[in-house]
Amino acid sequence: MPDLLKSPAAAGLTVTEPPGPPLPAPDAILTGGTVSSPWSEFWRKFRRQKLAMVAGAFIVLLFIIAIFGPVIAPYRMDQPDYNNMLAGPSLQHLCGTDEFGRDIFSRILVGTRISLWVGLSSVLVSAFFGTILGLISGFYGKWLDAFIMRFSDVLLAFPGILLAIGIIAILGPGLGNVIIAVAIFGIPIFARIVRSSALTLKNTVYVEAARSVGAQNKRLIWKHIFPGAVSTVIVYFTMRIGTAILTASSLSFLGLGAQPPTPEWGAMLSSGRNYLDQAPHVAVFPGLAIFLTVLAFNLFGDGLRDALDPKIKS
Amino acid sequence: MVKKSMMLVCALLFGLSLILSGCGAPAGKTVGVQSVQKQGKSITVAVQDNFVSMDPGDTNDTLSFSAEKTMMEGLIGFDKSMKMVPLLATSWEVSPDAKEFTFHLRKGVKFSDGTPFNAQAVKVNIDRLSDPKSNLKRHSLFSLVDKTVVVDEYTVKVILKQPFGAMLNNFAHPAALMVSPAALEKYGKNIGRHPVGTGEYMLKEWIPGDHLTVVKNPNYWRQGYPKLDSITFKSVPENGSRIAMLQTGEADFIYPVPPENVQSLVGQSGVTVKHKPSIIVDYVSMNTLKKPFNDPKVRQALNYAIDKNAFIKVVYSGLAEPMTSEIASNVQFFSPQQPYPYDPNKAKALLKEAGYPNGFDTTIWSNNNSTYIKATQFIQQQLAQVGVKVKIENMESGTMDSKIWSVKKPQDATIQLYFGGWSPSTGDADWGLRPLLSKDMIPPQGYNTAYYQNDTVSREIQQAIETADPAQRKAAYDKVEKDIWQDAPWVFLDTRDNIYGYRNYLKDAFLLPDGSLDVQKAEIVK
Repeated sequence: MPDLLKSPAAAGLTVTEPPGPPLPAPDAILTGGTVSSPWSEFWRKFRRQKLAMVAGAFIVLLFIIAIFGPVIAPYRMDQPDYNNMLAGPSLQHLCGTDEFGRDIFSRILVGTRISLWVGLSSVLVSAFFGTILGLISGFYGKWLDAFIMRFSDVLLAFPGILLAIGIIAILGPGLGNVIIAVAIFGIPIFARIVRSSALTLKNTVYVEAARSVGAQNKRLIWKHIFPGAVSTVIVYFTMRIGTAILTASSLSFLGLGAQPPTPEWGAMLSSGRNYLDQAPHVAVFPGLAIFLTVLAFNLFGDGLRDALDPKIKS
Repeated sequence: MVKKSMMLVCALLFGLSLILSGCGAPAGKTVGVQSVQKQGKSITVAVQDNFVSMDPGDTNDTLSFSAEKTMMEGLIGFDKSMKMVPLLATSWEVSPDAKEFTFHLRKGVKFSDGTPFNAQAVKVNIDRLSDPKSNLKRHSLFSLVDKTVVVDEYTVKVILKQPFGAMLNNFAHPAALMVSPAALEKYGKNIGRHPVGTGEYMLKEWIPGDHLTVVKNPNYWRQGYPKLDSITFKSVPENGSRIAMLQTGEADFIYPVPPENVQSLVGQSGVTVKHKPSIIVDYVSMNTLKKPFNDPKVRQALNYAIDKNAFIKVVYSGLAEPMTSEIASNVQFFSPQQPYPYDPNKAKALLKEAGYPNGFDTTIWSNNNSTYIKATQFIQQQLAQVGVKVKIENMESGTMDSKIWSVKKPQDATIQLYFGGWSPSTGDADWGLRPLLSKDMIPPQGYNTAYYQNDTVSREIQQAIETADPAQRKAAYDKVEKDIWQDAPWVFLDTRDNIYGYRNYLKDAFLLPDGSLDVQKAEIVK
């Protein structure tokens, strides 16, 4: 965690290769090809992260499955076969069948959309509110800062999963509420990271210059400080997706998330644990799906950070 | 960065292994190879739930009764097949009008605190149970008692307000286990923490949520018993852990064994798994006060829509029998009915006739243990075939109890479908039918979760208990069971098997058909 906080955020102010919309943009246009665009610069660095490239490819595959999953699944995800329960992997059923004779492979394919949706949407909500709160907190300081940060501290004091369980206890079980719960406990994390960027960026020369020519606070925040914080947010966004998927699966595992017959991976893992000794495949394949997806997002995030971190010279 | 990634991989693998091991299933099938010898004369019994109370009159879970029965005895006991046998009463007479019950008591019996067991002690116990002011959960079994008369030191007569033919079975119910009058006086409301009876064992310690230990009662009246020094009951909710405990010998007896694990235990050295028909019925009650279940056609349709044999195969791995009446076949006055066959087309036709050609949406409530979760999912799948979309709400039992029994007015009840099981611990038809299906037993008074209020049926149920004559009672129950079966306030599912496992050296430890343990005569054979 400490790496995350120190690297891109602290580095944003040196602005040798600013991420996002770069400050010396007009020059770049004028001088044409002599200065490479930030995108190609990023790509040049990112390409070297072999592991992250593989993870990225896997994530692309996941998105394709998420879109076309129900179409390419060989069976309907809720189609039981009571004569073929807990059957091991075979050519008919690549990942075997579950306790109702449903095809696990099909269920995992269909479940991809759910996991990605939960992961993306909850982190998007966290990032959105976290960034706004972080910018306000870092830019205005004083009591607003104290208020927002103490509130974040309160939320962060709870272990993430416990906070999520608490929120579910209030809202009631269900996938929608899981998204809300996971989103809420992600907000303070984003708020803190963005605040630290904002704190350093607001004292930079270019922000003061903008202020001295009469730029409004709103403009300062959105045009000058926010772009500097974006790279941090992007990196952390990717990392959080893995955590969010894992948390959502854990909640479903505990019976608080997806309700049957939804093929949510955590819920599948949970029902599979009853058959671990006679039919381990029922738990193993959904577990593997969660494992690979979370791993892919984390490796991808790692790669992104390395590529976006100006301190790591190529 | 590679190093960091490797760390991440390791962390994730570790996490995955945690998830998998957290599921607590035994690691393999090679565990049961150690010797089947047992050191000492103490055994451990691993059970699924926590004990709630040790006050028999204030207990409504079968598991607490199991522990109570090691420490206390009733006037009448049950044998292995739940036939009544003399225990603290050596014989009894019933008046022809089923209002007077005379018990002749066993002589020379003492409670474990030294108090003599006599007619006065019985009177104290029955008075306590029949007095509504004692506020006991099992008052309903004895609410008909008018008074208890001490005839002489070893004869006691119980007189009822009105005839009740099944009363003897209520005396055999574990709620009527005899508690020492001296202890009742000494501990008052706290008797549930300090049980004192005439049983084979005495309470040593009870740490709620963990274990309860009973030790030998040196002054037990029956020669040669008890055979063990102590019995420890452990609460082990996780199925996998309980099975592992049996395999390693950490537990000598476990209950229940989940049906899906029977195959993996059978044939292991040193371990025996037994399954026997129980008197526990599984059913789905339908709220007959509310649409769409107020229409008998809809209720019958649901009975046709569910394949009971597939249900048994999926949920109980085949270890159950389809229900053929509202009560199980080994309950007194069982009268077999013609089962509703699996016929989805007929179900659809009936739904159409009732005005639901496209089915409807509904919600099913049930407990959240893994067997019940599976059962409700199966019901959901089957009903979807005839267009009935079911939303499942599996709840923790405390939550569900309050949702069912906090209802003030029947029309406010939100219950629609309810999946549950019932075990009539008296072994008689009355306790299998009246609390569940008679009109004066709708929540919060009783367990009539179908809100079934059929006047004819309620009258017939009443007639059946107004006499002690078995022939008359049988005739009445034949009608009751037939009428309810046709009216179908429930989806009639199955009678499950009780499945338990034990180490081979353990003898005479078993399960009664009502699902309660009988370990008080257990012994270790080398």
